Amino acid sequence: MLRVESGFSASPRERTLRAMFEDRKSVFVDLLKWDVPVLDGRFELDQFDNEAATYIIIADEAGDHLGSARLLPTDRPHILSSLFPDLCASPPPAGPGVLEITRFCLSRRQKAAERLKTRNELVSALVWYALDAGIRTYTGVAETAWLQQILAFGWDCRPLGLPMRCECGTIGALAIEITGGTPALLAANHIWQPVRDPATRVPQAA
Amino acid sequence: MFNRVEEFVKDVRELASEDDLAEAIGAVTKDLGFRYFALAHHVDVRRSSSAIRIHNYPAGWAEWFDLQRLGAIDPVHRASNLTSVGFTWSKLPEMLALTPADRRVLDLARKEGIGEGFTVPAHVPGEAHGSCSFACATGERIAGEHLPLLQLVGAYAFEAARRMQRMRVSEAPIQLTDRQRECVMWAARGKSDWEIGQVLGVSEATVGEHLRHAYERYGVGKRTLVAVHALFDGTIGFLDVLRP
Repeated sequence: MLRVESGFSASPRERTLRAMFEDRKSVFVDLLKWDVPVLDGRFELDQFDNEAATYIIIADEAGDHLGSARLLPTDRPHILSSLFPDLCASPPPAGPGVLEITRFCLSRRQKAAERLKTRNELVSALVWYALDAGIRTYTGVAETAWLQQILAFGWDCRPLGLPMRCECGTIGALAIEITGGTPALLAANHIWQPVRDPATRVPQAA
Repeated sequence: MFNRVEEFVKDVRELASEDDLAEAIGAVTKDLGFRYFALAHHVDVRRSSSAIRIHNYPAGWAEWFDLQRLGAIDPVHRASNLTSVGFTWSKLPEMLALTPADRRVLDLARKEGIGEGFTVPAHVPGEAHGSCSFACATGERIAGEHLPLLQLVGAYAFEAARRMQRMRVSEAPIQLTDRQRECVMWAARGKSDWEIGQVLGVSEATVGEHLRHAYERYGVGKRTLVAVHALFDGTIGFLDVLRP
């Protein structure tokens, strides 16, 4: 089940969102040791979790979080522009048709095969959302360890600059071009999962 | 130099043949101060016709390597299964307990003119591990400032080779049924057919049948081999087998 959440109210009351912020803490703080803020010792939340963010969420039938990504507009401060400007050799793509993919997260409660299925659903949902919302380009900062896997999805992905070392590994900036042909590229790599009946919600925050 | 990598990334998307790819990788390798490259799936290429291997190593070296059937046990390949970012070969003794045979391989490589190198691991879930290596001639200094560039070149080169392999090999990857996969997973954990039957609640004969079908799909005749193949291509995970 796919959910698209626009904006975010300050307290994560609702079950799926709460589970998402808990899983983000489990993945990014406990597993990957990122130095990012944690709320109440349970939720990983930072200054970009605000009314401008969009969440693409894959949940099970009971509404439990399986995987998610946070999309940030690039016409205001985002991760690449505010935290890692040095990762780009020239000014990165930005503007109304460009979103930054951040916090790509797969719940650790799943087994290897289930995680791959959720990953494929989430990648497909990101492409579906871009086509639906008129987004041409995704940008993002990725650990170099994931680069081969990101390329193997088969979509049009290019580096924006040289990878650099930081305290939690080697990271690099990427741009992914989304067109009407992208679903077929994903399908050729057995990644594409058609998106059905997304539950879209209106912004929660004023 | 980043624009040289950008150019390579753009060019390889359009290439359709392995010869053209080899030429493109050879050219960027040279521009970044290295002499040799070798892009490979870590399998014995004489037995696995669909495995990728593209390189510009000296001819004698590649032949010797194949004769010794070193594809999957080469120390560089083994080390690259342990990490997901590039490493220089001088780091090998810190990454692996090198055996006398490993040291012999590395010595022979030096004698053949292959000096210090840098290897970019290529791990795609559900597929055989691979890597893309760049090497200097013996005695030449490694261009350390270019290693981040080579990290990108290696990743994009491997993906281009993977795309070509997918076009060449039309058949779908080997797939087991859920039941076959479960039986293979328990067999990999050392369980007998009878024990697996107890766990899954089916008869010993049924387990034997599932495993025989799994053997057939991989074209092997032993439970050890079917387990190794299934681990190798990601049909079952190491954690699934090693988890207590």
